[in-house]
Amino acid sequence: MTLPPPPLWPQAVAVARRDLLRERRRGEVTWVTLPFGAIALLLIPLAIGIDAPTLRRIGPGLNWIVVLLFGVLVTVRRTAVDGAADRDLAMRLGIDPAAVFIGRTMANAGLLLVFELVVGAAAVVLYDIELTRWPWLLAVIPAAALGLGLLGTLAGAIAAGQGGANLVPFLVAPLAIPLLLGATQALDAGLADGDGSLPWVLLMVLVDVIVAIVGVLTARPLQETR
Amino acid sequence: MGRAAVGTYTRSVAASPVVSLSAVAVRLGATPILRNVDLELAGGEALGLFGANGAGKTTLLRLLATLLRPSAGRAIVLGVDIAGVGRLEVRRRIGLIGHTPALYPELTLAENLAFAAAVMGLPATAVSDALGAVGLTAAADRPAASCSYGMQRRTEFARELMLAPDLLLLDEPHSALDAAAADLVGHLTDAVVAKGGAAVLVSHDRERVEKLVGRSLELVGGRLA
Amino acid sequence: MNGIPATTRRRSWLDTVAIAAAAGALGLAFLTPPEITQGNVARLFYIHVPTILVAYGCFALVLIGGAGYLTTRRMRWDHLAVASAEVGVLSTGLTVVIGMIWAKPTWGVYWTWSARLTLTAVLFFTYLGYLALRRSAEEPESRAHRTAVYGIVSIALIPVVHFSVLWWRDIHQPPTLLRPDEMQIDGILLAAFLAGLVAYALVAAALIVRRFRLAVAETELDMRLRSGGGNIAGDAVTAPQLERRP
Repeated sequence: MTLPPPPLWPQAVAVARRDLLRERRRGEVTWVTLPFGAIALLLIPLAIGIDAPTLRRIGPGLNWIVVLLFGVLVTVRRTAVDGAADRDLAMRLGIDPAAVFIGRTMANAGLLLVFELVVGAAAVVLYDIELTRWPWLLAVIPAAALGLGLLGTLAGAIAAGQGGANLVPFLVAPLAIPLLLGATQALDAGLADGDGSLPWVLLMVLVDVIVAIVGVLTARPLQETR
Repeated sequence: MGRAAVGTYTRSVAASPVVSLSAVAVRLGATPILRNVDLELAGGEALGLFGANGAGKTTLLRLLATLLRPSAGRAIVLGVDIAGVGRLEVRRRIGLIGHTPALYPELTLAENLAFAAAVMGLPATAVSDALGAVGLTAAADRPAASCSYGMQRRTEFARELMLAPDLLLLDEPHSALDAAAADLVGHLTDAVVAKGGAAVLVSHDRERVEKLVGRSLELVGGRLA
Repeated sequence: MNGIPATTRRRSWLDTVAIAAAAGALGLAFLTPPEITQGNVARLFYIHVPTILVAYGCFALVLIGGAGYLTTRRMRWDHLAVASAEVGVLSTGLTVVIGMIWAKPTWGVYWTWSARLTLTAVLFFTYLGYLALRRSAEEPESRAHRTAVYGIVSIALIPVVHFSVLWWRDIHQPPTLLRPDEMQIDGILLAAFLAGLVAYALVAAALIVRRFRLAVAETELDMRLRSGGGNIAGDAVTAPQLERRP
């Protein structure tokens, strides 16, 4: 049989479409993880006090912590849901592992983008956050979603089948620190106009690029070591 | 049920053996499963593989599917040494129907096949043809999780009919198939073999499988006899 | 003796030099005059800073080992990575603990939320995750692959940790040596610090070498077990023994 290998991009799109379709049917991110993150934002003031100026000041940081910790659950869900049979199927169909990585990342990043927007809106309302540097959100939010999606997908590939569902958050959380720092510092209301946000956004972009390159280059070796 | 569709792309007859195993051993962790297995399977051949529980039949099948690497020995499948780096390319030419249906439970039967068609670069029309061939047209839009085990097995046969592999590996192929669908096993095997490919059928149902294959082997003590 | 290979039992010249250097550095640390503002507690500086600098070096070796394995597929690179990771985690842990001991009399608290402290603790947990990942994978090649990738990605944290004291001016003092402008330390104290750095680096190197040899021995034992005999898995399955109904 001399069927030519299909190109990478259509395979990646098919993988992303599959993951998003599965999520639409399962609704785990929409109906479980997202409300869970919103509940966390509600619980925090009950523990630390409901002083409005304090909450307004720390609200942005709390929002990004919830995005990081609960956003990891979005990618952990993937690792837990995909059993050995699912991973075998990707191998048996001969899907390029790099396409699986890219497709998975696109799906995870898309779900995380929705997660960030909803949780962020809840944080703005609950903590009365002033969006003084809101134009930078247009760069920070997608960069954070992509970065967390990349890290979660890569960690899922590294930990696949090795007690992965519990190990993935432990692996992702420390590595997501530059994203957390970038997001909080870029939007810091204390920064003077035109000063300081760009380097933090570039740090986030740099993390995204590095993890993307590592993920694509190591996708095949990671699959082949199973 | 109608005539089952087969992939319409051209096929080249394998000049060398489809499978060539030489002194192959497989260990899972520290446990030896297969030891010193020799096997040659030519194009146009169907092999029945039998053995007791735990003999290593599924392990051998997974090795042939390149899902496992040999711990020792040499394993050439469709011209590629599967201990090397060419496994990804050869996998697209191998079809495996295992114990557990490999379907995404949330997706419909049609969506499951559409995914396989998309990643293999096949047209979308191949999906409806394949489902029609296995008698599941009316159930195409049902989620796989809501289908019976037998329906899921038929869907896997539909997938392999659509993908038309050069090496077909079937693990307990008659499991859960009713009398009408049982013909699928022979039809799929014949289709692959007729085009110059090869098939390996692992089963405890020796009587039915021996009618479909040219020769049989048994796994005993991790070796082929 | 206890089945431990001779290569891992024998004291090497490196061990001897490391012990001697450590003794010398310890002596020098106590012979230097007390620091003008912190007094004797500043002597912890002679070990606190070397532990984190050596930890950086260890994690760089984890990166090199991982990259080496991915390029060559030779297990010795993985052995280097795991040996360096374990010593690096130990060093980072020592950094945090010694820092806390220093902080109590100096700042009045064991812990503050300074960027440097917090990120160093994060670094500790990052490589603890590396070790947890190693424990979760049974097959040596799979373990080596996965941890190599993780080790390569994790190195990005180190510049963040190091430059955190420059990016955030907080209670933790800025770098004394590795700083953009000139060093902020007097001659004799610098000598004691450098002696501590060299001694701790030698101790870490000795530990890495020993752990490397142990990893080699473990791999050799594992290969012997795998290539040897052992019962075929299928032999454990026999025909059921059912009682006939009367």
